[in-house]
Amino acid sequence: MKTVEQRPPELNLDEIVQKYRTVVGFKVKKSLGTRTPDWEDVVNEVITQVIEKVKKGEFRGESSIGTFIYTITSRRIVDYIRQKTKVLKGIPEPAVLPDPCDDAERRERTRVLADAIKRLKPKFREVLDLYYYQELSRQEVAQRLGISPRRVSERLNYAQKLLRKMIKQ
Amino acid sequence: MKKCKFKDQIDNYLLNRLEGEDKDIFEEHYFNCTSCFQKLEERNELISTIKTRGAWIFRAEPAPERRSLVPTFEKIYSFFTPRQWATVAISAALLLVAVFGILPQFRQSTPQFYLSENEVVRGSFLSLISPVIDVKGVPSFFEWRQLGQDVEYKIYVYNEKLLWTAATKETTIDVPEDIKQLMVAGHKYSWQVRAFSAKGTLIAVSSRVQFQIKETE
Repeated sequence: MKTVEQRPPELNLDEIVQKYRTVVGFKVKKSLGTRTPDWEDVVNEVITQVIEKVKKGEFRGESSIGTFIYTITSRRIVDYIRQKTKVLKGIPEPAVLPDPCDDAERRERTRVLADAIKRLKPKFREVLDLYYYQELSRQEVAQRLGISPRRVSERLNYAQKLLRKMIKQ
Repeated sequence: MKKCKFKDQIDNYLLNRLEGEDKDIFEEHYFNCTSCFQKLEERNELISTIKTRGAWIFRAEPAPERRSLVPTFEKIYSFFTPRQWATVAISAALLLVAVFGILPQFRQSTPQFYLSENEVVRGSFLSLISPVIDVKGVPSFFEWRQLGQDVEYKIYVYNEKLLWTAATKETTIDVPEDIKQLMVAGHKYSWQVRAFSAKGTLIAVSSRVQFQIKETE
């Protein structure tokens, strides 16, 4: 089986943890929602499991390390959801909690990005509005604006390029 | 750089349009493709921003033009973090308090002269004029600044111990011949003057000034 990454003779656990913590965190947040207060605990549990399994020699290089970690992550998420479902059966859902990673730096980045989007030319702003905010398909956006779906894609890509440039400034 | 075929799936994944096996395959992919994951994070931030601030962003009226002032202000503001700005503000406030509140009090306070361990005199400044630097020969007189009317001055001249003392109402005093005989070239001496009011109250003490009589060649 062709692996995306070549297995090194010895895995550097520190490097693996540093590289994959963000990726694991992304998947966990996407699956459980950022408003779930336990998401960070789940990420830590996944990382701990990865380290333990690698130390025990359970990673044999039959797949890539990325796939190995993805599998552990997916299973842990399923276990967590099952656990929560059992506990919450018959009990009312708790109130929505504030985003635990709603830190000042992220809020600031959001503010800067929102401001940059607002300053885009109308033709770029409207594709972002229709495609991401109103979640129309590319076809529907094209019909609404009277342009081709390919032109919609071009405007989306260019808008994001512009935003990247504006934020860097 | 060859474009990864999964890059086109990013929007569908983030907008929850991918399901089942397609979703699993894409997720497994970004665990293995750094480039796709970076794009994914960037796009996720854009979509999150649009979802949370969309009502404000896509309102009919655009943001007011602030180009002339905002970039400059934002440039200056972004020079420091908010915490650093707070530190600057507190430091500036303390400096102002020190310069205008505390230092003037020191300037205006009267000098203190320690006569002994337990005896301190608060008084006016009494400046000595001559000799205050090294001299070529034995000084024939000592001179100081006048402090006021009806003031009596007492002069004290020391080598290792008190050599001579005298009182006068003038601001100069001649050195007696017998005292001149005691002052030797190459040695260091010091002198001090105290001022007394007409009633005999000590009102000022000068600092003790040192001088050396240079050796003649």
